[in-house]
Amino acid sequence: MKASEVMDPNPTTLKPTDSIECAAKYIMERRYRSLPVVDDNFCYLGMFGVNCLLKQVIPKAVFMDKGLKNVSFIHESLEDLYQRFSDVKDQPISVCMTTEINSISPDTALTDTLLQLYETRASIPVVEPGTCKLLGMISYWDIGDKIMQTGVAENA
Amino acid sequence: MHNLNQPDMILGLSPVWFAGTLFVVTYVLIVTERLNRAIISMMAAALMIVSGVLTQEAAVQGVDFNTIGLLTGMMIIVGITRDSGVFQYLAIRSAKVVKADPWGILVMLMLVTALLSALLDNVTTVLLIAPITLLITDTLKISAYPYLFAEIFASNIGGTATLIGDPPNIMIGSATGLGYNDFLFNLAPISILILLVSMVPIYLIWGRHLTADPKLINKVMQYREVDAIKDWVLLKKSMFVLTLVMVGFIVGHDYGLQPATVAMFGAALLLTLNCLPHDQEKQSKMVARSLCDVEWITIFFFIGLFILVYGVETTGILEALAHKVLGLTGGDKTITAISILFVSAVASTVVDNIPFVATMIPLIKNMAPSLGGAQELVPIWWSLALGSCLGGNGSLIGASANLIVAGFAERSGQPIRFLPFMMIAFPMMLLSVLISSLYVYFRYF
Repeated sequence: MKASEVMDPNPTTLKPTDSIECAAKYIMERRYRSLPVVDDNFCYLGMFGVNCLLKQVIPKAVFMDKGLKNVSFIHESLEDLYQRFSDVKDQPISVCMTTEINSISPDTALTDTLLQLYETRASIPVVEPGTCKLLGMISYWDIGDKIMQTGVAENA
Repeated sequence: MHNLNQPDMILGLSPVWFAGTLFVVTYVLIVTERLNRAIISMMAAALMIVSGVLTQEAAVQGVDFNTIGLLTGMMIIVGITRDSGVFQYLAIRSAKVVKADPWGILVMLMLVTALLSALLDNVTTVLLIAPITLLITDTLKISAYPYLFAEIFASNIGGTATLIGDPPNIMIGSATGLGYNDFLFNLAPISILILLVSMVPIYLIWGRHLTADPKLINKVMQYREVDAIKDWVLLKKSMFVLTLVMVGFIVGHDYGLQPATVAMFGAALLLTLNCLPHDQEKQSKMVARSLCDVEWITIFFFIGLFILVYGVETTGILEALAHKVLGLTGGDKTITAISILFVSAVASTVVDNIPFVATMIPLIKNMAPSLGGAQELVPIWWSLALGSCLGGNGSLIGASANLIVAGFAERSGQPIRFLPFMMIAFPMMLLSVLISSLYVYFRYF
């Protein structure tokens, strides 16, 4: 079995020009963990999710490479966190989306797909080889559903 | 020196030309930064041996293990101590002492950076201070640039003050037998003066304009520095060992203890105290983690460089160069010292000061017979130390710590650009070298 057979071919996507506030509300309301970001040609650009939001409300000095490892001396309120969020809420999501999540091709074998899902700990974009076109997304839920459905079919 | 039995010709070149060419090519490659500097120096060292300029035994003898041991030992001690959170505590406490006033914070962070750079190495110091600086300036909603600029200066000036503050001093101390106290008594006073003088242009350019909203100042005042201490037991152990090591540096010289021995003993003692309460498996993990904190790139860069320079030295090039330099200065000790001070400052602005000092040490040693013996070289060693350490402030590439700070600035979205930095830093560096030259002249001649 290949990745193309277990992926969701019609994933919800965001545009890089969407504001951080808009995208944040969207993923919060629907309880998404992260969503792919694509341009007008459906070219995969990166992922935007709750981690990006966390980075906006915690001081920059914490998340940067070689940043503060110990922040136990900072005691902030929800207002402090919102203040930091409001400083960036009108900016496009392209400024904070992550491009570090590896994409896979539709021909990737199922076991390899599972391993990458396990290592990434987030949904994985399936991208057309040789181009950047997003073909679909694979999440824990997609795979879990497929496995459970197989069990139901065999028992029947 | 070893009986080397060098071949008459190497790849169609005499050993002198081969070693000289290899040396120049290595320098160029280090400057271009196309390849990691540890790889370049290891390759150069290997070529020195493979070509027959040095035997393997001679190459090993060329390595200054006092420098290597001191660096490695201190890196292990600092790596373990860092986990206690004491350095963060110091930085936050210093900001609160001045009621989080923006200019006061800048002065305090400069002082803390200079002090830590004198006691630890510069890179470690800025790795500890720069993130806290960004946190404070972010909270106060003010530019981090003046702070990071000031910390670069403070780290290089502070590093000048002691034997262990900056690699050039470690190398000079090891090669000459000058001890921790010699460095402290001869270089610390002038370093303190230069640090204070450096605050004047920083104040005039940025300091007098620094202001912050009182509400934001209050936020900094709400930081609970005591909470930064993550492990009180580790803190006590670390402070105990660090104090022992400092005492060892100060009194050890009189008992024939080299700084490397003191640092390595301190590292072993702290590892023992830290690991003893744990089982064998945890101990192995803790030791592995501590050894990972050692900057092996720097260590191997040093090893390769020592072999390369030793190879060049054996061919007699540096001796000939020393005579040329003395010819240019007319054999006058004062002119030689002041010239070396300025040349090493300018050179350290554009090239890594480690290879520069590694080359200058044997070159200066070769001047001893013409200048009246090894004792007559002492002012020249101070000139080399001052020039090579302070020269690091001249440009963004002048010292490793500068690049580390620039990296933090880039990641925080407030980049430090090469030319704007140099426009202010180079004249300030020249001012510090001018003060140093007056100091050398009036104190030693």
